[in-house]
Amino acid sequence: MGTQAGNPPLPHGLAELHRYMSADALRPHIDRAEMLRYLGYNGQELEVALAARIERVAAELERTVTPRGIWQVFPVDAQGTNAAGEPCIRLAGTTVELDGRDIFRHLKDAQGCALLAATLGMESERRLRTQGGQSPLDAALLDAACSAYIEAAVDAMDSEIEQLAATAGFARNSRFSCGYGDCPLEAQDAIVTSLNAGRLIGLTVTPNHLLLPSKSVTAMIGLFAGKAPTTSDRPTCAVCRLAGNCSFRTRGTTCYGRPHT
Amino acid sequence: MTAFATRTLDTLHLADDDLRAVLEGQRCLLLDGGMGTMLQAAGLAAGAKPELMNLTHPEVITSIHAAYVAAGSEVVTTNTFGANELKLGEDATVEEVFAAAAKAARASGARYVAGDIGPIGTLLRPLGTLTFDEAYNIFAREARAAAVAGVDLFIIETMTDLLEIKAAVLACREETNLPIFATMTFEADGRTFLGTPPEVAAATLDALGADVLGINCSLGPQELRPFVQRMLATTSKPVMVQANAGLPHVENGETVFDIAPDAYAQAVAPMVEDGVSVIGGCCGTTPEHIRLLAPLMESHQPSPRATQPAFTVCSAQTAVSLPMHTQRIAVVGERINPTGKKRLQQALRANDIDYVVAQGIAQQEQGADVLDVNVGLPELDEVELLPRVCEALSAATLLPLQIDSTNPAAVEAAVRRYAGIPIINSVNGKKESLDAILPLAAHYGCAVVGLTLDEEGIPATAEGRFAIARRIVEAAARWGIGPERILIDCLVMTASTNQDQALEILRAVTLCHERLGVKCALGVSNISFGLPAREVMNATFLAAAFGAGLDAPIMNPGSARYMDVVRAFRVLNGEDEGSRSYIEHYASWNDPYRGGASAASLATSSAAPADSAALSRGAGTETADASNTSPANIIRHLILTGRKGEMRHATEELLAATDPMALINEHFIPALNEVGELFDAGTYFLPQLMASAEAAREGFEAIRRHTSAAEVATKGAVCLATVHGDIHDIGKNIVKMLLENYGYTVYDLGRDVPPATVLACAREHDVRVVGLSALMTTTVPAMEETIELLHAELPGVKTIVGGAVLTPDYARAIGADFYAKDAAAAARIVEELLS
Repeated sequence: MGTQAGNPPLPHGLAELHRYMSADALRPHIDRAEMLRYLGYNGQELEVALAARIERVAAELERTVTPRGIWQVFPVDAQGTNAAGEPCIRLAGTTVELDGRDIFRHLKDAQGCALLAATLGMESERRLRTQGGQSPLDAALLDAACSAYIEAAVDAMDSEIEQLAATAGFARNSRFSCGYGDCPLEAQDAIVTSLNAGRLIGLTVTPNHLLLPSKSVTAMIGLFAGKAPTTSDRPTCAVCRLAGNCSFRTRGTTCYGRPHT
Repeated sequence: MTAFATRTLDTLHLADDDLRAVLEGQRCLLLDGGMGTMLQAAGLAAGAKPELMNLTHPEVITSIHAAYVAAGSEVVTTNTFGANELKLGEDATVEEVFAAAAKAARASGARYVAGDIGPIGTLLRPLGTLTFDEAYNIFAREARAAAVAGVDLFIIETMTDLLEIKAAVLACREETNLPIFATMTFEADGRTFLGTPPEVAAATLDALGADVLGINCSLGPQELRPFVQRMLATTSKPVMVQANAGLPHVENGETVFDIAPDAYAQAVAPMVEDGVSVIGGCCGTTPEHIRLLAPLMESHQPSPRATQPAFTVCSAQTAVSLPMHTQRIAVVGERINPTGKKRLQQALRANDIDYVVAQGIAQQEQGADVLDVNVGLPELDEVELLPRVCEALSAATLLPLQIDSTNPAAVEAAVRRYAGIPIINSVNGKKESLDAILPLAAHYGCAVVGLTLDEEGIPATAEGRFAIARRIVEAAARWGIGPERILIDCLVMTASTNQDQALEILRAVTLCHERLGVKCALGVSNISFGLPAREVMNATFLAAAFGAGLDAPIMNPGSARYMDVVRAFRVLNGEDEGSRSYIEHYASWNDPYRGGASAASLATSSAAPADSAALSRGAGTETADASNTSPANIIRHLILTGRKGEMRHATEELLAATDPMALINEHFIPALNEVGELFDAGTYFLPQLMASAEAAREGFEAIRRHTSAAEVATKGAVCLATVHGDIHDIGKNIVKMLLENYGYTVYDLGRDVPPATVLACAREHDVRVVGLSALMTTTVPAMEETIELLHAELPGVKTIVGGAVLTPDYARAIGADFYAKDAAAAARIVEELLS
């Protein structure tokens, strides 16, 4: 039988499974500047035709693809150790076990963890695949548009979580995903099954723990009674293993869009 | 080749006559409700494997089953939704889980025990990583285990991928003789997550031999009803529904559902009236829900059903359905056939599947309803190639495929792995052909084209052709293939050599249509061989053939003239209701017979390269800079500004006076180098680099069209692959594009490529440079493994690696010879290595 949560129950409204499915009129907006940033844009002069092509790809994606997402808050258990005897984070009532020092720091003082999953769905995957073989430029533009789009959807879910948490008296820290710092991708499997994300939003994990459709995100947000620790309230290059060789940083920016310090 | 027996109710192992009556649509059947949610209520952690409880807590499982039996369920479903070898892993074997699950189910006293089979949980190719054969083997093991454990029937459920459910149904059919119930899961938009609508699911599952089919999960009964009605109108087999008790959500740590038992039963009742004869529940339903469903089934005779017979074929997304008693037109695109097409032959020999796919995309946009696929070239292995091309077309187009081969083994390899109902092209009146092809069509539920020729050749008269057609229809009937699955092709002879046969062919179409009740196909363009103005002749014959009853012209949809005839006839036969699409299409029509230029462009619109028609490309329309009007300057300017629209013309002008190799080396390459430098300096960003590459590619295509392969020497060959386990291949595709522009032959192995495949390619083509990409840390080990293998087996081969997680140090650590930080850098390294 599974683990029984020994933690105090979460306040009403936070413990429910929440679905994010934007109505057509409320679909998130693709931030064009962010899309360009993913493409390596750094102020180059854009030909009119290319600019129009970029806009067409973004607008078509917004028109035809609906992001889907789910999230749920689970109590955090930071008392246990993993098979290797290292401290790890467990989400009570699920099989999720998160290894690594970075996620441990992120969640060890949290009472709850909002676990979220979002995807652009198989149609986005099909288009990316088809265009990859037919028109690599369109595929690159679509890839960047999809990245910006799923980010926008996750941002929207993120603010829902923040609002509900605030209502219940909780503060939150930043979003953290498998693959950040030393948090292994292996945890994706348990995250996806624990959220029932296969059935609910069509999300799968490959044998190598990659999300499919590839334009999908899973993330963890720590929730804290009172004030959140300030050290981790926004993304930082400090936990990123690419920081030393990052093309965004050589251009004086970051993948999350702020000048690095 | 596999030997097949026909499958009927008499060949099945049926627990009793009541179950037989259910499969005949004469009796209702009450299933059970949710298992997973009952287990979670009993304390199972989210994400834990419920199937293990069959082994650890069989009494809990039996008590849940028993509660459903007490509520009236005649069938209980084993707790084996995820009991496949991938999901179970090391925790238990498939066999012991099914044995324990069936025992626990049997102990409840249920009348029938259904072996439950859910999705594997890993996505199949082409979008995912699992092959059809791997999926089949996983399901076959489950099917055997369930049969050994003594289940009475299978319930295959909650499927969203038509190819996956096909693998499961085939596995159950081929491994056992138990009845098969099969359901798919639809979202509120009326499609599964992979895009399959209810009609396609119903038609395909029916054709594959599922005995009862329907819908489960995802939505409540009220939301599912319109989808169920669409299934009821498509199939005459019994239809089942297992709806959710509303959308699941969590309250106080427990999953709850919106729909109370009485409301649930009230919403199910109208579906029973509609003709659904097998009902139960899915997520969130409880014994109480089932108890209230029981009165709906008790002494209820299934409602009569009225389905219209139709010739139906489908891809995973689209059904093409031609009602039997009305003439409706389906255009079969004929362009994927290497006969007489040099560029396609070249592409097939070079394994350039993307080019073949472009032909499919182009025909879809030109108005084809079905794509014929023929890849027969003497030196190619059709058994290996045909399914691969069909898989690539299925990923990129929405149209059903017509599998065209004279090799029965290749036909089987392709139709077995096809998601949907394909057409087999073709069978004919020869005994050998009937014996080889009809069993395949029967076993895999395909439609089939029947050619009116036999051992004696093609009869000259309409009656002679009709006689063969009748023999084919009769032989098909012996395999359980009705006239609604047959297209008779009365075989067009050339009017220039067999003028007396033209009208006989048309009369044969009419005879087959009227006396055999079958739909007819014709390869229209054969009529005009050896005559001038072939399109005029073909279009006239096409119109006449429609008049004679033709349903499925096999033709080039890129011909505007043929499509004119199709659109006009669709008004005449009532298919284009209110002439709406005709009016829309011809609102601003220019009569090609007035004014010479527009006439010429209309007649030859198919001459444009298919890939440019297939893709929406936003080429600039402004003309080249006036101060740089020498042809060479124009080429440079077009490449630098990424304007492919004008490249073809500019290249052709230069080709008149310049040697192709000089054109490449003195104009294309320097311009591309200049672009590379601008990119390195940060003056250009990636889309600009790629737009330039596109423009150059357009120029290369023009050169290829105008010169023989021998005149354009390759600068060497490179093999590219995204490593095993990795699915992110965008960077690799960009590198491929750049390298092709520099004149290298690129063997693109795609994504998720095992090390041995890379080695085999490098060895076979004597490749000296291999480029590997990996995006994720988890797949870098596969990259390292590939490099080790290459270095061990082919010491002269150099490896270049790239991908988001790699750094120069990391690349060195895994033994790579070179690290490329981006596509331009990769091209530069290749230039150095191969110059």
